[in-house]
Amino acid sequence: MIASGGMLFHRFALLCALALLPAPAAANSQSPWHGAREGVALKATALQREQVAAFYQARGFAPAAIADYAAACVFSLELHNGGRQPLRLRLADLRAQSPSGTVRFRQPQAWQAEWDRLGVAEPARIAFRWAQFQAGQEFAPGDWIMGMAALERRIDAPFRLVLQFSDRKRSHEIAIDHVRCAPLD
Amino acid sequence: MKLPSTMSAAPRSIERRRTLARLAGLGCLLAAAPLAAQGSGMTPVSGTPAAPPLILPDVDGKLVDLASFRGRLVLVNFWATWCPPCRREFPSLGRLQKLFRPEELVVLAVNVGEDAETIFSFAGAGEVTILLDRDSAAMRRWKVAGLPSTFVVDRQGRLALRAVGGREFDDAAIVRQLRGLLKDRA
Repeated sequence: MIASGGMLFHRFALLCALALLPAPAAANSQSPWHGAREGVALKATALQREQVAAFYQARGFAPAAIADYAAACVFSLELHNGGRQPLRLRLADLRAQSPSGTVRFRQPQAWQAEWDRLGVAEPARIAFRWAQFQAGQEFAPGDWIMGMAALERRIDAPFRLVLQFSDRKRSHEIAIDHVRCAPLD
Repeated sequence: MKLPSTMSAAPRSIERRRTLARLAGLGCLLAAAPLAAQGSGMTPVSGTPAAPPLILPDVDGKLVDLASFRGRLVLVNFWATWCPPCRREFPSLGRLQKLFRPEELVVLAVNVGEDAETIFSFAGAGEVTILLDRDSAAMRRWKVAGLPSTFVVDRQGRLALRAVGGREFDDAAIVRQLRGLLKDRA
């Protein structure tokens, strides 16, 4: 069904209002979270299910196809190399640590396999691929990038977000405490 | 940039609605995740290897070949309208083009996976040449690590500079780097 322009405008206004509403204080009042080490800065923003669904539906995903991703614990991650060394990092080196264990972020190619199975159209899959925080990165000084990533499973309690990265000499770690998934309701 | 001449009024109306829907999701993400400052300068590419081939249609369907610009600097920017830092840096591509003569520098903005109407609704009739990489094959060939990514191809067709993440391309540091490449006759 194609909605009228007026209906879409109201949906747009509603979605933005949802995005701008204060989130429940106990849930993600501190989002976005920031951490830094050796001039490398990480910002993590917990994304609401409605935001994620609206973004991908506008890029061609059927609501049912993107539902699982939108309901996962999705973050917008932003990394800036403000240091003097080139650095390397992998999405696999980003993890959530909680009392119940360590949870990694699901690799983008795992989602792509899901889109293949569901028959998601190529333009939507391309948008998804490039909107993700890429699985392997090399950053020169001054480079920065942002992208989305979803934990392999939701964590209900606050957790520590840990990013490992390496420059030419050694490995480093950025740890941010009290990070939370955006609430589903 | 011209719209496809075959586009009738009815499809335009549908496209307008689609554009509104696209903006809805993007607008919310922008509201929820304010942008960081753009990066500065570009990084010299080690060894200055030959640039990969790049032959893509522009928004009018005309094929554009990177090799045809040999003797000029070419700034190749990979972008999409849904990518916040891409949108932020895009106007600076046009400003950069104005700082150089066309026989000195050409800016090619390679859009990934979107249609001409979507691109036009954002970019309008700009200063830069927009190419369409509909299946993202060019991005893979150029080993793009994320959006936006930008490369400068020197007058000999070699990769000279690269940048991952947004930039203000008319920034003095980048303009100085490009002027330096223009002086380089090696």
